[in-house]
Amino acid sequence: MYEEADMEKNYYVCTGCGLLCDDIEVESEKNIINKVYTACRVGVAHMKKAKGETNFLVNNKPVDEATAVREAASILKNAKNPLIFGLGTSTDETQILAIELAKKTNATLDDTSSFCLGPLVEALLQDKLKPCTLEDIRNKADVIIFWGADPSDSHPRHLSKHSYFPRGSEKQKGWEEERTAIAIDIRKSHTAKICGNYFFQIPPGGDTEFIDALIAALSGKLPKTSYNFPPKKILELANILKGAKFGVIFAGLGLIYSLEDLEPVFRLMKILNEKANFHLVPMVGHYNMRGFNENLFAETGYVNRVKFEDGMVKHGPEYSVVESLKAKTVDAALIIGSDPLSSLPRSVSKNLLEIPVISIDPCETLTSKHAKVYINTAISGVESGGSATRMDGTKVSFKPVVETIHPSDEAILKKIMEAV
Amino acid sequence: MDFGSFLSAPEINIKIVTYRDIFQDKAMIENRFGEEYRDRSAILKLDPADLKQLSIKAGDTVILKNSLGKIVVKAEESGYETPHRGIAYMPNSPWSNMLVSDETGGTGVPRFKDISATVTSAKGEKVTELRF
Repeated sequence: MYEEADMEKNYYVCTGCGLLCDDIEVESEKNIINKVYTACRVGVAHMKKAKGETNFLVNNKPVDEATAVREAASILKNAKNPLIFGLGTSTDETQILAIELAKKTNATLDDTSSFCLGPLVEALLQDKLKPCTLEDIRNKADVIIFWGADPSDSHPRHLSKHSYFPRGSEKQKGWEEERTAIAIDIRKSHTAKICGNYFFQIPPGGDTEFIDALIAALSGKLPKTSYNFPPKKILELANILKGAKFGVIFAGLGLIYSLEDLEPVFRLMKILNEKANFHLVPMVGHYNMRGFNENLFAETGYVNRVKFEDGMVKHGPEYSVVESLKAKTVDAALIIGSDPLSSLPRSVSKNLLEIPVISIDPCETLTSKHAKVYINTAISGVESGGSATRMDGTKVSFKPVVETIHPSDEAILKKIMEAV
Repeated sequence: MDFGSFLSAPEINIKIVTYRDIFQDKAMIENRFGEEYRDRSAILKLDPADLKQLSIKAGDTVILKNSLGKIVVKAEESGYETPHRGIAYMPNSPWSNMLVSDETGGTGVPRFKDISATVTSAKGEKVTELRF
Protein backbone atom coordinates (compact mmCIF):
# COMPACT_ATOMS: atom_id res chain seq x y z
CA MET A 1 0.00 0.00 0.00
CA TYR A 2 2.78 2.44 0.81
CA GLU A 3 5.09 1.47 -2.02
CA GLU A 4 7.64 3.62 -3.88
CA ALA A 5 5.20 4.47 -6.68
CA ASP A 6 2.69 5.98 -4.27
CA MET A 7 5.40 7.87 -2.47
CA GLU A 8 6.70 9.91 -5.37
CA LYS A 9 7.38 13.43 -4.15
CA ASN A 10 5.47 12.44 -1.09
CA TYR A 11 6.66 13.81 2.17
CA TYR A 12 5.85 12.38 5.55
CA VAL A 13 5.03 14.19 8.75
CA CYS A 14 7.21 13.69 11.83
CA THR A 15 5.15 13.28 15.01
CA GLY A 16 8.22 13.56 17.25
CA CYS A 17 7.18 16.95 18.70
CA GLY A 18 4.70 19.80 18.44
CA LEU A 19 6.33 21.18 15.28
CA LEU A 20 4.89 18.38 13.10
CA CYS A 21 7.54 18.88 10.39
CA ASP A 22 5.93 17.94 7.10
CA ASP A 23 8.98 17.58 4.86
CA ILE A 24 10.32 14.21 5.93
CA GLU A 25 11.56 11.61 3.45
CA VAL A 26 12.31 8.02 4.38
CA GLU A 27 13.77 4.88 2.90
CA SER A 28 12.02 1.75 4.05
CA GLU A 29 12.02 -1.90 3.23
CA LYS A 30 9.62 -4.57 4.44
CA ASN A 31 7.99 -2.06 6.77
CA ILE A 32 11.27 -1.21 8.46
CA ILE A 33 12.47 2.37 8.19
CA ASN A 34 16.17 2.34 7.34
CA LYS A 35 16.82 5.99 6.62
CA VAL A 36 15.13 9.20 7.62
CA TYR A 37 15.99 12.43 5.83
CA THR A 38 15.42 16.02 6.95
CA ALA A 39 14.24 15.16 10.47
CA CYS A 40 16.17 16.18 13.59
CA ARG A 41 17.97 13.85 16.01
CA VAL A 42 14.79 13.31 18.02
CA GLY A 43 12.65 12.87 14.90
CA VAL A 44 14.98 10.25 13.42
CA ALA A 45 14.95 8.28 16.68
CA HIS A 46 11.16 8.57 16.81
CA MET A 47 10.66 7.33 13.27
CA LYS A 48 13.21 4.53 13.49
CA LYS A 49 12.06 3.36 16.91
CA ALA A 50 12.13 -0.43 17.03
CA LYS A 51 9.17 -2.05 18.69
CA GLY A 52 9.18 -4.95 21.08
CA GLU A 53 7.40 -8.21 20.42
CA THR A 54 4.90 -7.81 23.24
CA ASN A 55 1.36 -7.32 22.07
CA PHE A 56 -1.24 -7.73 24.80
CA LEU A 57 -0.64 -8.41 28.48
CA VAL A 58 -2.99 -8.95 31.38
CA ASN A 59 -1.27 -9.20 34.77
CA ASN A 60 1.99 -9.33 32.78
CA LYS A 61 0.94 -12.53 30.98
CA PRO A 62 0.47 -12.62 27.18
CA VAL A 63 -3.16 -12.78 26.05
CA ASP A 64 -5.04 -12.22 22.79
CA GLU A 65 -6.51 -8.88 21.79
CA ALA A 66 -10.09 -9.81 22.71
CA THR A 67 -9.08 -10.79 26.25
CA ALA A 68 -7.09 -7.58 26.77
CA VAL A 69 -9.97 -5.44 25.48
CA ARG A 70 -12.49 -7.34 27.62
CA GLU A 71 -10.34 -6.90 30.73
CA ALA A 72 -9.85 -3.18 30.01
CA ALA A 73 -13.58 -2.69 29.52
CA SER A 74 -14.34 -4.56 32.73
CA ILE A 75 -11.94 -2.33 34.72
CA LEU A 76 -13.63 0.78 33.35
CA LYS A 77 -17.14 -0.61 33.95
CA ASN A 78 -16.38 -1.55 37.54
CA ALA A 79 -14.85 1.80 38.38
CA LYS A 80 -16.95 4.57 39.92
CA ASN A 81 -14.58 7.32 38.80
CA PRO A 82 -11.99 6.12 36.30
CA LEU A 83 -9.23 8.49 35.18
CA ILE A 84 -8.52 8.79 31.47
CA PHE A 85 -5.16 10.45 30.94
CA GLY A 86 -2.54 10.98 28.24
CA LEU A 87 -3.51 11.48 24.59
CA GLY A 88 -0.79 14.07 23.77
CA THR A 89 0.67 11.63 21.26
CA SER A 90 -2.65 10.46 19.85
CA THR A 91 -4.48 11.70 16.75
CA ASP A 92 -7.55 13.94 16.87
CA GLU A 93 -9.64 10.90 15.92
CA THR A 94 -8.36 8.96 18.96
CA GLN A 95 -8.82 11.95 21.27
CA ILE A 96 -12.44 12.42 20.18
CA LEU A 97 -13.09 8.73 20.88
CA ALA A 98 -11.47 9.08 24.31
CA ILE A 99 -13.76 12.02 25.11
CA GLU A 100 -16.77 9.85 24.16
CA LEU A 101 -15.44 7.00 26.29
CA ALA A 102 -14.97 9.38 29.22
CA LYS A 103 -18.60 10.47 28.90
CA LYS A 104 -19.81 6.89 28.71
CA THR A 105 -17.84 5.81 31.80
CA ASN A 106 -18.39 8.98 33.90
CA ALA A 107 -14.62 9.45 33.90
CA THR A 108 -12.23 12.16 34.97
CA LEU A 109 -10.38 13.23 31.82
CA ASP A 110 -7.09 15.12 31.73
CA ASP A 111 -3.91 15.39 29.71
CA THR A 112 -0.34 16.63 30.18
CA SER A 113 -1.32 20.22 29.35
CA SER A 114 -2.80 20.20 32.86
CA PHE A 115 0.70 20.70 34.31
CA CYS A 116 2.22 22.20 31.20
CA LEU A 117 1.05 24.80 28.66
CA GLY A 118 -2.72 24.28 28.96
CA PRO A 119 -3.42 27.80 30.31
CA LEU A 120 -1.76 29.40 27.27
CA VAL A 121 -3.67 27.26 24.76
CA GLU A 122 -6.88 28.06 26.65
CA ALA A 123 -6.14 31.81 26.46
CA LEU A 124 -5.47 31.51 22.73
CA LEU A 125 -8.73 29.61 22.16
CA GLN A 126 -10.57 32.30 24.16
CA ASP A 127 -9.01 35.04 21.96
CA LYS A 128 -7.14 36.52 24.92
CA LEU A 129 -3.80 36.35 23.09
CA LYS A 130 -2.92 37.14 19.48
CA PRO A 131 -2.01 34.01 17.54
CA CYS A 132 -0.03 33.56 14.33
CA THR A 133 1.22 30.62 12.31
CA LEU A 134 4.78 29.37 12.00
CA GLU A 135 4.58 30.28 8.29
CA ASP A 136 3.75 33.90 9.22
CA ILE A 137 6.80 33.86 11.44
CA ARG A 138 9.06 32.41 8.76
CA ASN A 139 7.88 35.00 6.24
CA LYS A 140 7.48 38.11 8.36
CA ALA A 141 8.84 37.95 11.92
CA ASP A 142 11.53 40.50 12.75
CA VAL A 143 11.65 40.20 16.56
CA ILE A 144 11.53 36.72 18.10
CA ILE A 145 11.56 36.11 21.84
CA PHE A 146 12.25 32.71 23.38
CA TRP A 147 10.99 33.06 26.94
CA GLY A 148 11.71 30.15 29.26
CA ALA A 149 12.00 28.04 26.14
CA ASP A 150 14.95 26.24 24.57
CA PRO A 151 13.82 24.95 21.19
CA SER A 152 17.37 23.94 20.27
CA ASP A 153 16.78 21.06 22.68
CA SER A 154 13.01 20.67 22.79
CA HIS A 155 12.04 21.43 19.15
CA PRO A 156 15.33 21.07 17.29
CA ARG A 157 14.21 22.39 13.87
CA HIS A 158 12.32 25.36 15.28
CA LEU A 159 14.96 27.97 14.52
CA SER A 160 16.10 26.52 11.18
CA LYS A 161 12.70 25.73 9.67
CA HIS A 162 10.56 28.53 11.07
CA SER A 163 11.65 31.12 13.56
CA TYR A 164 15.14 32.47 12.94
CA PHE A 165 17.34 31.21 10.13
CA PRO A 166 14.97 30.89 7.12
CA ARG A 167 14.84 33.52 4.42
CA GLY A 168 11.10 34.12 4.45
CA SER A 169 9.19 35.84 1.67
CA GLU A 170 9.43 39.23 3.41
CA LYS A 171 12.71 38.48 5.15
CA GLN A 172 15.07 37.75 2.27
CA LYS A 173 18.11 39.11 4.11
CA GLY A 174 17.53 36.60 6.85
CA TRP A 175 18.76 36.52 10.41
CA GLU A 176 21.97 38.38 9.63
CA GLU A 177 20.16 41.64 8.97
CA GLU A 178 16.45 41.35 9.39
CA ARG A 179 15.72 39.29 12.47
CA THR A 180 16.53 39.77 16.14
CA ALA A 181 16.31 36.70 18.35
CA ILE A 182 16.04 37.29 22.09
CA ALA A 183 16.25 34.75 24.90
CA ILE A 184 14.94 35.41 28.40
CA ASP A 185 15.95 32.54 30.64
CA ILE A 186 17.52 31.59 33.93
CA ARG A 187 20.42 29.78 32.31
CA LYS A 188 22.41 30.12 29.10
CA SER A 189 20.62 27.42 27.10
CA HIS A 190 21.70 26.35 23.62
CA THR A 191 19.07 28.71 22.22
CA ALA A 192 20.30 31.55 24.46
CA LYS A 193 23.80 31.06 23.02
CA ILE A 194 22.44 31.64 19.51
CA CYS A 195 20.82 34.86 20.74
CA GLY A 196 24.27 36.24 21.68
CA ASN A 197 24.04 39.71 23.21
CA TYR A 198 20.27 39.45 23.30
CA PHE A 199 20.32 36.89 26.11
CA PHE A 200 18.71 38.27 29.27
CA GLN A 201 19.55 36.11 32.26
CA ILE A 202 17.12 36.42 35.15
CA PRO A 203 17.07 34.57 38.49
CA PRO A 204 14.73 31.55 38.98
CA GLY A 205 11.23 32.86 39.64
CA GLY A 206 12.17 36.33 38.42
CA ASP A 207 9.86 36.38 35.38
CA THR A 208 6.94 38.37 36.79
CA GLU A 209 9.26 41.13 37.99
CA PHE A 210 11.03 41.15 34.65
CA ILE A 211 7.68 41.52 32.87
CA ASP A 212 6.76 44.43 35.16
CA ALA A 213 10.13 46.07 34.56
CA LEU A 214 9.74 45.60 30.81
CA ILE A 215 6.25 47.12 30.91
CA ALA A 216 7.69 50.09 32.83
CA ALA A 217 10.41 50.50 30.21
CA LEU A 218 7.87 50.28 27.38
CA SER A 219 5.88 53.03 29.15
CA GLY A 220 8.93 55.28 29.38
CA LYS A 221 9.51 54.68 33.09
CA LEU A 222 12.63 53.49 34.86
CA PRO A 223 12.60 49.67 35.03
CA LYS A 224 13.36 48.27 38.49
CA THR A 225 13.79 44.74 39.78
CA SER A 226 14.61 43.46 43.27
CA TYR A 227 17.48 41.53 41.68
CA ASN A 228 18.99 44.71 40.21
CA PHE A 229 18.81 43.81 36.56
CA PRO A 230 20.66 46.64 34.76
CA PRO A 231 17.89 49.14 33.82
CA LYS A 232 19.85 50.18 30.73
CA LYS A 233 19.62 46.65 29.32
CA ILE A 234 15.86 46.49 29.92
CA LEU A 235 15.43 49.89 28.23
CA GLU A 236 17.43 48.63 25.24
CA LEU A 237 15.21 45.55 25.07
CA ALA A 238 12.07 47.70 25.24
CA ASN A 239 13.35 49.77 22.32
CA ILE A 240 13.89 46.68 20.17
CA LEU A 241 10.39 45.43 21.01
CA LYS A 242 8.80 48.81 20.24
CA GLY A 243 10.30 48.70 16.76
CA ALA A 244 8.88 45.26 15.92
CA LYS A 245 6.73 45.11 12.80
CA PHE A 246 5.97 41.44 13.40
CA GLY A 247 7.00 40.24 16.82
CA VAL A 248 6.42 36.88 18.44
CA ILE A 249 6.91 35.44 21.92
CA PHE A 250 7.54 31.72 22.10
CA ALA A 251 6.44 30.90 25.63
CA GLY A 252 7.93 27.84 27.29
CA LEU A 253 7.53 25.98 30.54
CA GLY A 254 10.26 28.09 32.16
CA LEU A 255 7.97 31.12 31.89
CA ILE A 256 4.72 29.35 32.77
CA TYR A 257 6.07 27.57 35.87
CA SER A 258 7.42 30.87 37.15
CA LEU A 259 4.04 32.68 37.04
CA GLU A 260 1.13 32.36 39.48
CA ASP A 261 -1.29 33.02 36.61
CA LEU A 262 -1.23 34.50 33.11
CA GLU A 263 -2.21 38.02 34.13
CA PRO A 264 1.37 39.41 33.72
CA VAL A 265 1.53 37.90 30.21
CA PHE A 266 -1.80 39.55 29.28
CA ARG A 267 -0.52 42.91 30.53
CA LEU A 268 2.72 42.58 28.60
CA MET A 269 0.97 41.52 25.38
CA LYS A 270 -1.46 44.44 25.74
CA ILE A 271 1.26 47.09 25.90
CA LEU A 272 3.34 45.34 23.24
CA ASN A 273 0.36 45.57 20.90
CA GLU A 274 -0.18 49.23 21.74
CA LYS A 275 3.43 50.04 20.86
CA ALA A 276 4.08 47.38 18.20
CA ASN A 277 2.65 44.11 16.81
CA PHE A 278 3.16 40.98 18.93
CA HIS A 279 1.90 37.41 18.76
CA LEU A 280 2.30 34.43 21.08
CA VAL A 281 2.95 30.78 20.31
CA PRO A 282 3.08 28.16 23.09
CA MET A 283 6.06 25.79 22.84
CA VAL A 284 3.90 22.68 22.88
CA GLY A 285 5.97 19.53 23.37
CA HIS A 286 3.80 16.54 22.52
CA TYR A 287 2.75 16.41 18.92
CA ASN A 288 -0.99 16.69 19.56
CA MET A 289 -1.35 18.17 23.03
CA ARG A 290 -2.87 21.27 21.47
CA GLY A 291 -5.26 19.03 19.51
CA PHE A 292 -6.51 17.51 22.77
CA ASN A 293 -7.11 20.99 24.19
CA GLU A 294 -8.99 22.07 21.07
CA ASN A 295 -11.06 18.89 20.81
CA LEU A 296 -12.11 19.00 24.46
CA PHE A 297 -12.75 22.75 24.24
CA ALA A 298 -15.07 22.21 21.25
CA GLU A 299 -16.97 19.56 23.22
CA THR A 300 -17.09 21.08 26.70
CA GLY A 301 -15.68 24.64 26.68
CA TYR A 302 -12.70 23.46 28.77
CA VAL A 303 -9.22 22.50 27.57
CA ASN A 304 -8.49 19.87 30.25
CA ARG A 305 -9.34 18.78 33.85
CA VAL A 306 -12.93 17.65 33.38
CA LYS A 307 -15.16 15.10 35.07
CA PHE A 308 -18.18 13.72 33.26
CA GLU A 309 -21.18 12.74 35.33
CA ASP A 310 -24.46 11.54 33.82
CA GLY A 311 -24.27 13.86 30.84
CA MET A 312 -22.96 16.83 32.85
CA VAL A 313 -19.40 18.10 32.81
CA LYS A 314 -17.53 19.45 35.82
CA HIS A 315 -14.22 21.29 35.61
CA GLY A 316 -11.55 22.44 38.02
CA PRO A 317 -8.08 21.75 39.44
CA GLU A 318 -9.57 18.93 41.57
CA TYR A 319 -10.10 17.02 38.30
CA SER A 320 -6.47 17.43 37.24
CA VAL A 321 -4.44 14.26 36.99
CA VAL A 322 -2.19 15.44 39.82
CA GLU A 323 -4.90 16.41 42.32
CA SER A 324 -7.14 13.43 41.56
CA LEU A 325 -4.28 10.97 42.04
CA LYS A 326 -3.07 12.79 45.11
CA ALA A 327 -6.52 12.83 46.72
CA LYS A 328 -7.15 9.25 45.52
CA THR A 329 -10.53 10.23 44.08
CA VAL A 330 -10.03 8.03 41.01
CA ASP A 331 -10.36 4.25 41.32
CA ALA A 332 -8.94 3.06 37.97
CA ALA A 333 -6.88 4.60 35.18
CA LEU A 334 -6.75 4.33 31.42
CA ILE A 335 -3.45 5.83 30.29
CA ILE A 336 -3.04 6.43 26.57
CA GLY A 337 0.41 7.20 25.15
CA SER A 338 1.83 8.52 28.39
CA ASP A 339 4.06 7.32 31.20
CA PRO A 340 2.93 9.09 34.37
CA LEU A 341 5.04 6.82 36.61
CA SER A 342 8.03 8.50 34.92
CA SER A 343 6.72 11.97 34.15
CA LEU A 344 4.79 12.85 37.31
CA PRO A 345 6.34 13.40 40.73
CA ARG A 346 6.75 10.00 42.33
CA SER A 347 5.00 11.38 45.42
CA VAL A 348 1.87 11.61 43.25
CA SER A 349 2.25 8.82 40.69
CA LYS A 350 2.86 6.14 43.34
CA ASN A 351 -0.89 6.19 43.99
CA LEU A 352 -1.36 4.63 40.55
CA LEU A 353 0.08 1.42 42.02
CA GLU A 354 -3.02 1.12 44.24
CA ILE A 355 -5.59 1.08 41.42
CA PRO A 356 -6.02 -1.02 38.27
CA VAL A 357 -4.25 0.63 35.34
CA ILE A 358 -4.74 0.07 31.61
CA SER A 359 -1.74 1.21 29.57
CA ILE A 360 -2.15 1.76 25.83
CA ASP A 361 1.26 2.68 24.48
CA PRO A 362 3.56 1.94 21.55
CA CYS A 363 6.44 1.31 23.92
CA GLU A 364 6.93 -0.41 27.22
CA THR A 365 7.22 2.10 30.02
CA LEU A 366 7.34 2.11 33.82
CA THR A 367 3.58 2.62 33.69
CA SER A 368 2.98 -0.27 31.29
CA LYS A 369 5.15 -2.54 33.46
CA HIS A 370 2.91 -1.84 36.44
CA ALA A 371 -0.36 -1.96 34.50
CA LYS A 372 -2.98 -4.66 34.89
CA VAL A 373 -3.62 -4.46 31.15
CA TYR A 374 -1.03 -3.42 28.58
CA ILE A 375 -1.86 -3.00 24.91
CA ASN A 376 1.05 -2.33 22.57
CA THR A 377 -0.25 -0.04 19.85
CA ALA A 378 1.10 1.33 16.59
CA ILE A 379 3.37 4.38 16.79
CA SER A 380 1.01 7.23 16.02
CA GLY A 381 2.15 9.02 12.88
CA VAL A 382 4.69 6.35 11.94
CA GLU A 383 2.59 3.19 11.86
CA SER A 384 -0.88 4.76 11.87
CA GLY A 385 -2.30 7.96 10.42
CA GLY A 386 -4.78 10.66 11.27
CA SER A 387 -4.78 14.37 11.98
CA ALA A 388 -3.33 16.64 14.64
CA THR A 389 -2.85 20.27 15.62
CA ARG A 390 0.57 21.86 15.49
CA MET A 391 1.78 24.14 18.33
CA ASP A 392 0.51 27.22 16.43
CA GLY A 393 -2.99 25.79 15.86
CA THR A 394 -2.44 24.64 12.25
CA LYS A 395 -4.17 21.37 11.35
CA VAL A 396 -1.90 18.70 9.88
CA SER A 397 -2.96 15.34 8.42
CA PHE A 398 -0.64 12.42 8.01
CA LYS A 399 -0.54 8.91 6.73
CA PRO A 400 1.41 5.99 8.16
CA VAL A 401 4.99 5.58 6.93
CA VAL A 402 5.02 1.81 7.33
CA GLU A 403 2.49 -0.90 8.08
CA THR A 404 2.40 -2.79 11.35
CA ILE A 405 0.68 -5.72 12.99
CA HIS A 406 -0.02 -3.56 16.01
CA PRO A 407 -3.48 -1.98 16.21
CA SER A 408 -3.75 1.80 16.44
CA ASP A 409 -4.87 3.34 19.73
CA GLU A 410 -7.92 4.52 17.79
CA ALA A 411 -8.87 0.93 16.85
CA ILE A 412 -8.36 -0.24 20.44
CA LEU A 413 -10.44 2.58 21.94
CA LYS A 414 -13.25 1.77 19.51
CA LYS A 415 -13.26 -1.83 20.70
CA ILE A 416 -13.12 -0.88 24.38
CA MET A 417 -15.98 1.54 23.78
CA GLU A 418 -18.09 -1.24 22.27
CA ALA A 419 -17.30 -3.56 25.16
CA VAL A 420 -17.99 -1.07 27.96
CA MET B 1 40.86 0.56 55.38
CA ASP B 2 39.38 3.76 53.99
CA PHE B 3 39.16 5.99 57.07
CA GLY B 4 37.63 8.73 54.92
CA SER B 5 34.39 6.77 54.87
CA PHE B 6 33.95 7.43 58.60
CA LEU B 7 34.21 11.19 58.24
CA SER B 8 31.00 13.11 57.63
CA ALA B 9 30.98 14.50 54.12
CA PRO B 10 30.23 18.19 53.61
CA GLU B 11 26.57 18.83 52.81
CA ILE B 12 25.06 21.82 51.02
CA ASN B 13 21.53 23.00 50.31
CA ILE B 14 20.69 23.47 46.68
CA LYS B 15 17.82 24.45 44.46
CA ILE B 16 17.54 22.16 41.44
CA VAL B 17 16.18 23.55 38.17
CA THR B 18 15.21 20.93 35.57
CA TYR B 19 15.56 21.38 31.82
CA ARG B 20 15.17 19.53 28.51
CA ASP B 21 18.13 18.00 26.71
CA ILE B 22 17.97 16.79 23.10
CA PHE B 23 20.50 13.99 23.57
CA GLN B 24 18.66 12.71 26.63
CA ASP B 25 15.33 12.90 24.75
CA LYS B 26 16.74 10.87 21.90
CA ALA B 27 18.14 8.29 24.34
CA MET B 28 14.70 8.00 25.98
CA ILE B 29 13.00 7.37 22.65
CA GLU B 30 15.53 4.67 21.82
CA ASN B 31 15.38 2.91 25.18
CA ARG B 32 13.96 4.43 28.32
CA PHE B 33 15.37 1.56 30.39
CA GLY B 34 18.80 1.80 28.75
CA GLU B 35 22.17 2.91 30.05
CA GLU B 36 22.43 5.94 27.80
CA TYR B 37 19.15 7.36 29.07
CA ARG B 38 20.26 6.82 32.67
CA ASP B 39 23.68 8.37 32.01
CA ARG B 40 22.07 11.44 30.45
CA SER B 41 19.31 11.77 33.08
CA ALA B 42 20.79 10.91 36.46
CA ILE B 43 23.19 13.85 36.46
CA LEU B 44 23.47 17.08 38.40
CA LYS B 45 25.21 20.10 36.92
CA LEU B 46 26.86 22.13 39.66
CA ASP B 47 28.83 25.34 39.97
CA PRO B 48 32.59 24.52 40.27
CA ALA B 49 32.70 26.22 43.68
CA ASP B 50 29.95 23.89 44.94
CA LEU B 51 31.88 20.86 43.65
CA LYS B 52 34.88 22.11 45.58
CA GLN B 53 32.88 22.66 48.76
CA LEU B 54 31.55 19.10 48.51
CA SER B 55 35.16 17.85 48.13
CA ILE B 56 34.24 15.97 44.98
CA LYS B 57 35.33 15.95 41.33
CA ALA B 58 33.17 16.02 38.24
CA GLY B 59 32.10 12.43 37.54
CA ASP B 60 31.77 11.47 41.23
CA THR B 61 28.35 10.42 42.46
CA VAL B 62 26.37 12.50 44.94
CA ILE B 63 23.36 11.87 47.14
CA LEU B 64 20.41 14.19 46.61
CA LYS B 65 17.97 14.11 49.46
CA ASN B 66 14.81 15.82 50.61
CA SER B 67 11.61 14.82 52.43
CA LEU B 68 10.33 13.12 49.25
CA GLY B 69 13.22 10.79 48.66
CA LYS B 70 16.87 10.14 48.11
CA ILE B 71 18.65 9.50 44.84
CA VAL B 72 22.21 8.99 43.75
CA VAL B 73 23.29 10.80 40.59
CA LYS B 74 26.52 11.77 38.91
CA ALA B 75 27.86 15.28 39.54
CA GLU B 76 29.08 17.37 36.63
CA GLU B 77 30.42 20.86 36.22
CA SER B 78 27.78 23.02 34.57
CA GLY B 79 30.11 24.91 32.26
CA TYR B 80 28.04 28.09 32.55
CA GLU B 81 30.13 31.27 32.63
CA THR B 82 27.90 33.02 35.17
CA PRO B 83 28.44 31.65 38.70
CA HIS B 84 25.37 29.93 40.14
CA ARG B 85 26.35 28.66 43.58
CA GLY B 86 23.45 26.97 45.33
CA ILE B 87 21.60 26.40 42.06
CA ALA B 88 22.11 23.16 40.16
CA TYR B 89 20.65 21.90 36.90
CA MET B 90 19.29 18.49 36.02
CA PRO B 91 17.49 17.15 32.94
CA ASN B 92 13.82 16.50 33.61
CA SER B 93 13.44 12.74 34.11
CA PRO B 94 12.03 10.02 36.39
CA TRP B 95 15.10 10.66 38.58
CA SER B 96 14.37 14.36 39.13
CA ASN B 97 10.70 13.45 39.62
CA MET B 98 11.60 11.32 42.64
CA LEU B 99 12.35 14.59 44.47
CA VAL B 100 9.39 16.67 43.26
CA SER B 101 6.86 17.48 45.97
CA ASP B 102 3.16 16.67 45.79
CA GLU B 103 2.51 20.06 47.45
CA THR B 104 0.85 22.08 44.72
CA GLY B 105 -1.34 24.44 46.72
CA GLY B 106 -4.27 22.74 44.99
CA THR B 107 -3.23 24.05 41.58
CA GLY B 108 -2.57 20.67 39.95
CA VAL B 109 0.86 21.87 38.87
CA PRO B 110 3.86 20.38 40.71
CA ARG B 111 7.04 22.43 40.99
CA PHE B 112 9.04 20.37 38.51
CA LYS B 113 11.60 23.13 37.99
CA ASP B 114 12.00 24.21 41.60
CA ILE B 115 13.29 21.37 43.76
CA SER B 116 15.00 21.93 47.11
CA ALA B 117 17.39 19.25 48.30
CA THR B 118 20.66 18.65 50.08
CA VAL B 119 23.64 17.33 48.21
CA THR B 120 26.51 15.37 49.62
CA SER B 121 29.17 13.03 48.29
CA ALA B 122 27.88 9.49 47.69
CA LYS B 123 31.41 8.16 48.28
CA GLY B 124 31.30 5.94 45.24
CA GLU B 125 27.74 4.67 45.66
CA LYS B 126 26.15 3.71 42.33
CA VAL B 127 23.55 5.78 40.47
CA THR B 128 19.95 4.96 41.49
CA GLU B 129 18.26 2.33 39.29
CA LEU B 130 15.01 3.20 37.59
CA ARG B 131 12.28 1.14 39.22
CA PHE B 132 9.35 1.28 41.59
